[in-house]
Amino acid sequence: MAEVIVNAQAPLQYDSGQRNLLDFLEKQQHSLNFQCREGFCGACRCTLISGQVRYLQEPLAYVRRGEFLPCCSVPASNIEIEIPK
Amino acid sequence: MAYTTFNRNMNDQMKEPMFFGNSVNVSRYDQQKYPIFEKLIEKQLSFFWRPEEIDVSKDRIDFQQLPEHEKHIFLSNLKYQTLLDSVQGRSPNIALLPIVSIPELETWIETWAFSETIHSRSYTHIVRNISSEPHKVFDDIMLNQKILERAEDVSRYYDELIDGINLYQRHGAGTHVLNGETVSITLRELKKRLYLCLMSVNVLEAIRFYVSFACSFAFAERELMEGNAKIIRLIARDEALHLTGTQHMLNIMASGDDDPEMAEIAKECEEEAYAIFMRAAEQEKDWAAYLFKDGSMIGLNKDILCQYVEFITNSRMQAVGLKARFSTTQNPIPWINTWLVSDNVQVAPQESEISSYLVGQIDNEVDSGSFGDFDL
Repeated sequence: MAEVIVNAQAPLQYDSGQRNLLDFLEKQQHSLNFQCREGFCGACRCTLISGQVRYLQEPLAYVRRGEFLPCCSVPASNIEIEIPK
Repeated sequence: MAYTTFNRNMNDQMKEPMFFGNSVNVSRYDQQKYPIFEKLIEKQLSFFWRPEEIDVSKDRIDFQQLPEHEKHIFLSNLKYQTLLDSVQGRSPNIALLPIVSIPELETWIETWAFSETIHSRSYTHIVRNISSEPHKVFDDIMLNQKILERAEDVSRYYDELIDGINLYQRHGAGTHVLNGETVSITLRELKKRLYLCLMSVNVLEAIRFYVSFACSFAFAERELMEGNAKIIRLIARDEALHLTGTQHMLNIMASGDDDPEMAEIAKECEEEAYAIFMRAAEQEKDWAAYLFKDGSMIGLNKDILCQYVEFITNSRMQAVGLKARFSTTQNPIPWINTWLVSDNVQVAPQESEISSYLVGQIDNEVDSGSFGDFDL
């Protein structure tokens, strides 16, 4: 099971019962900006420091290298991420 | 030079820049330089809706019972949105179609502008329902000083671009004497006007609409004007897609892969880009003050709305590679997100109001597992 490190805190175990990383992070009481939750608005953009995510659907929003959208992805390995302030 | 509706040059469309190359001849999508625009078109088409599908009859009763200062908030926002969509329903076509050079982007621009015309028609649908004198609401748009001040800024960059394109396509680059007046234009100047115009459009779609979205949803949180809120949700969903389209154009330009000169221009215009964002944020805060001049509404006041403007401006600036300029880091009205989710309710797909229902959608994914319990 993948480990998720958020903002350099203690690692969390990704719960495969969650539909995507955004649902997971919210369940862990992290507050993220969001809007469409379908990958087209880009509001939930986060930084992927290490590891890989797998997109459930390719995002339409512009995603720069080193960023990802948690609303339409799941971890593909252990990952370390940062939620922008 | 001059625009032609069917360019006879046998060009390779895959090698054209987004803008200012050959004008498009064959509208073909079998090969795409930027497949993202085709994906945006498909998404926009799947979002298709008509204002008449949404029942706003209960809003009439709600509206009559609103106190005067809340009627002012509601109507002023509708007027402002009407102005914004009047501009957006025509300007991308008029400004961008004469200079676009790749077919998928050309079609995206048309699809984008078309959906804005639906928004415009939905405002008439709403106003007809809440008022027996809809003409008074619309007539006031051209008289209301607060709205006209905004019109100046939202249309200026479009007008400067269109003016430059007309001059360039008619007379070419250089200095010309027209009707005794000396004017000059260069391709680089045009590219600069295009870049700034797209930045201003991005601000229009990403910030200017949101003050009024916030008010609409604040009414609906109190179970008032819910038909209106349903329409605004559909509009907000469309706008989120449009601004993604504009952000893609801006980011492709800034990367320089498409047209190296555009990357230089993006750098050169950085300060002006900041200024466009900051000016819009200030104007929206002014607008919030005008909305609440006779009193606040439950759940929303001028200060909260101004903080929201700062928050959303920060996030939109970061999306196009600029740095956040306001200190606000938290969304002061987190409940708005629930209204902005594209589909947070599961409804039977045959119901006309479910927004993700794709007409004729077929699941094409079949693997060997699908035949697991299949015997001959």
